[in-house]
Amino acid sequence: MLANARETHKKPLLQRTSVLLWFGCGLILLTPWLGLQFGATDLSWQQVLAGLLGEGSSHVERVVMDLRLPRTLIGLVIGVHFALSGWLLQLLTRNPLAEAGILGISGGASLVAVAAFVVGDWIQPGDNPYAGIPFALQYLPLLAMLGGLLAALAVYGLSLRHGGLSPLKLTLTGAVLAGMLHALTTGGLAFWGHAHTELVAQWLAGSLYGTTWEHLEALLPWTVLGLIGVVILLRPLSAMQLEDEHARSLGLHLNRWRAVALVVAALMAASAVGIVGPVGFLGLLVPHISRRLAGSGLVVQCLMCTALGATLAVVADTLGRAIFAPYELPVGVVSAALGVPFFLYLLSRQP
Amino acid sequence: MLRTDRLTLAYGNTNVVHELSLAIPTGRISCLVGPNGSGKSTLLKGLAGLIAPRQGEVLLEEQPLSLWSRNELALRLAMLPQKPIVPEGILVKDLVALGRFPHRKWWQRDGREDREASQQAMHMTGVESLGGRPVASLSGGQQQRAWIAMALAQQTDILLLDEPTTYLDWGYQLEVLELLVDLNQTRGLTVIMSLHDLNQAAQFADHVLVLEDGQVKAAGVPGQVITETLLAQVFRVRGAVTLNDEGRPYCIGRGTAKGLHST
Repeated sequence: MLANARETHKKPLLQRTSVLLWFGCGLILLTPWLGLQFGATDLSWQQVLAGLLGEGSSHVERVVMDLRLPRTLIGLVIGVHFALSGWLLQLLTRNPLAEAGILGISGGASLVAVAAFVVGDWIQPGDNPYAGIPFALQYLPLLAMLGGLLAALAVYGLSLRHGGLSPLKLTLTGAVLAGMLHALTTGGLAFWGHAHTELVAQWLAGSLYGTTWEHLEALLPWTVLGLIGVVILLRPLSAMQLEDEHARSLGLHLNRWRAVALVVAALMAASAVGIVGPVGFLGLLVPHISRRLAGSGLVVQCLMCTALGATLAVVADTLGRAIFAPYELPVGVVSAALGVPFFLYLLSRQP
Repeated sequence: MLRTDRLTLAYGNTNVVHELSLAIPTGRISCLVGPNGSGKSTLLKGLAGLIAPRQGEVLLEEQPLSLWSRNELALRLAMLPQKPIVPEGILVKDLVALGRFPHRKWWQRDGREDREASQQAMHMTGVESLGGRPVASLSGGQQQRAWIAMALAQQTDILLLDEPTTYLDWGYQLEVLELLVDLNQTRGLTVIMSLHDLNQAAQFADHVLVLEDGQVKAAGVPGQVITETLLAQVFRVRGAVTLNDEGRPYCIGRGTAKGLHST
């Protein structure tokens, strides 16, 4: 009987890969509908469909094609960015609390992006801070990425010790740096003051408000690059879960691959920050749920992260639009409302 | 063959292993013994090429380890740390499959050969029936066998283990040591491990290396090396050493050797 009891153990909720994949595909196909269906203008699903097919009235078509569709697609994409970035960072640091926000990557990206807004406004004052930047929207992800990458490298460099990397030290350094970067960003904003504080404050809360096809175009190249990076990293990541010296004894060039993983994670998180601002907690929440559902296989985990990240971002955005309609809650606020209790729960379970 | 030539290993400015020259006999079980801080773990890491020497060399087949690529080295030499980290939620079969890491490039997935090697490793260590279980749910002895299975799946001819019996109950300790002897005899595996328990080293090793302050105090077959003088000098223990029927020494500690020190 004892032996029998020993044999039983917690199995992942959905064990078979095919079931998981259908589940993921279902989510990815169904959730965009949420984003298209709900909003300030009441539309029936027939109207939404007509708008998509180009057969609706010009008003419906404008709402569906120019406002809701790009917004929903960007929601899907940034969800994937934040989720995969968090997943990479948690594997990389072997710390379940790691995430772009906590490690200072989002902070670095925000600071540089806000600096770009300020400089842009100074060069060409106007109503739209994006338009103020003479070197255009598509450079914003790149700039934010540089900021995120610099922050990531600073955290990485400060945490190195005896040529090795302590996950605990990495997380602590990240938290301290994140705090400092946040203070700098807010301080810079207060100093700059006049023009678009409100708009930038909304951006800093992480918002999909006012995103357009141009935003999506600016983001997609980085999505592709990031996904390629993740695929390349899959096998090294499996060994990175082990203790440092153990991983190296398997032939892994640990510091090299860790740097690659950090760059890819920073790239995914920071490029998304450049477009929609720092959306916290998606990167924390999604990898956890994915691990619960998918078990320990990295490939399935990664696919699950992709599906759930996309879904959760769109759901959070739709909720933010629906709860206090016609007012909007930024997606970052909703995801924080969902994520903070979860974070505290995780903390309470830390040994 | 694995040997060191005037090897000095250091952390920062502190030399832990100092100008050490030793040879590890191929196809045998070698045990590193010595008091705490004598440099056993550091020497093992050095032998595995995980710490770059400050001076001197570790040589595998007369080639300094620095000339071996990380991957080639991993095909010849497997290492099991003292307290390996269990990846969250990992199943035994997936853990064992990690041992195949050096056999594949980063773009390759595991093939039939890899699955066969893992299967064989699990068979030899007796964890075959546990393949679908999470490693974290196993007993200490089973976990240690799973880790050894992973090292075996790596299919190296040298296996380094850092105190493989620490944290295990007595029965499990013997189980692990018997498994290593078995693997050594059936597969000709060269085993190098550090052990805390002198009697276990005496019972299971072909070759004993006694370390003190990063230097080899004595080396050879257990019967010659483990003596009452050694107990007093290296371990500061006043003890008696008797030989059993197989000619292997057996030590009993009677107290600390402070009294003996002056004589």
